Amino acid sequence: MSEVGDKIHPISVTINGETYERTVEARQLLVHFIRDALGLKGTHIGCDTGNCGACSIIFNGKLVKCCMLLAVQADGAEIETVEGLASDGALDPVQEAFHEHHGLQCGYCTPGLLMGATYLLRDNPKPSEGEIRRAVRGNICRCTGYVNVVRSVRAAAGEDVAEFPATGAEGGSP
Amino acid sequence: MLLESIEYTRPADIKEALTALGSSEGAAPLAGGQSLVNVLKHRVASIELLVDISRLEELRSIDVGEDGVEIGACVTYDEIDRSEAVRGALPIVSEVAAHIEDQQIRNRGTIGGNCCLSDPTNNFPPLLLALGAVMNVESESGKREVPAEDFFRGYFMTAVGPGELLRSISIPRYGPDSGAGFQSLSVASDSKAIVRASARVTLNDGISDARIALGVVGPVPVRHTGMEDALRDGPATADAVREAAESIGEDIEPISDTHGSADYRRKMARVIARRAVTQAIAEAGGGE
Repeated sequence: MSEVGDKIHPISVTINGETYERTVEARQLLVHFIRDALGLKGTHIGCDTGNCGACSIIFNGKLVKCCMLLAVQADGAEIETVEGLASDGALDPVQEAFHEHHGLQCGYCTPGLLMGATYLLRDNPKPSEGEIRRAVRGNICRCTGYVNVVRSVRAAAGEDVAEFPATGAEGGSP
Repeated sequence: MLLESIEYTRPADIKEALTALGSSEGAAPLAGGQSLVNVLKHRVASIELLVDISRLEELRSIDVGEDGVEIGACVTYDEIDRSEAVRGALPIVSEVAAHIEDQQIRNRGTIGGNCCLSDPTNNFPPLLLALGAVMNVESESGKREVPAEDFFRGYFMTAVGPGELLRSISIPRYGPDSGAGFQSLSVASDSKAIVRASARVTLNDGISDARIALGVVGPVPVRHTGMEDALRDGPATADAVREAAESIGEDIEPISDTHGSADYRRKMARVIARRAVTQAIAEAGGGE
């Protein structure tokens, strides 16, 4: 238990397999710690109110929005960010599918969507369109209309999406 | 966003947490943080010390027994959604948890936080009233049980006093002759609720008992005994339910805001309450 009155807290956080030991103020948001203290700028800040999902990361195996956590809460945590997906410069299958099927336009929401898709496919390797739309509900994209996002996630799940009808109807709007 | 300076402590057990919470008027528990972190960003509360209870195992268990389900205050919506035991005992609780916001928020947000925030648009408060839940509150000086009906005291105010902590929520089971319903009205699936209603109905040659709670029609969720009385000892028919819902009227005083006028909320409360009761009757195996 840390002392009450102690404003600086030592934390140890493992991100994409690398352990960082730093001190943080209790008021520092985790997203600022990741971006500014560690320089991992792949995780974006969109709304900073927990609505848009651009800052989604995998935190102890769970998808979370890191603008809604304090850095001090990450002490001892295992974190995965978008920088951890590619290896040796090669895109991972989810990134490759988003690239191949135009799952992004401006790209701002993409790091969050990639982490969301990665989280979904770990839990549910063959999701239906409705399940994909439910999974990305917390990631706001204002370019794609989600049709190509859904297509990309299906492709990442190994589906043949060449003839995929772009209805966008099933499952309602995310 | 830059927060105001704040103190933080992560107690090792519930005893240390209660000591920390009792140490200062400005101490507040931090659970999932899915509302509290925004409160801190907007600087609308004077919190000096965050007591991080999110990792306390004592607050993170789900116990399903013969009488009911006890859910620890720091159990997340996602954990409730994924609990087969909860789904088997009280499917309505799983269903409500599954429909909260999005996956990221369900992975962090907790049932205790949902209740202790006492936002009038939140979903668990009216559900817990309808189901007759009991809130287990603890402080250094002891434990007390607060019925859900007495727990919600006003906008963002609950019965949890300084130095106290909501430890768990006990929700009674209902028998096979009973069913529950939960319905909401909002413009879009992710916008603020305009009205919520929850019902628990028991059938025995018609409706033998009914508990109905309305949400978003005032600062706190309320039982509507007028509609309950109108249903009790009557037939479980669509006409009877529609007629009973007409008893919701001037006795509720919803606010008018950007999401709906008071008059609109009152009219929609009848519709949403009717749907919740109809759902409950169907789960109890009745209806037409």
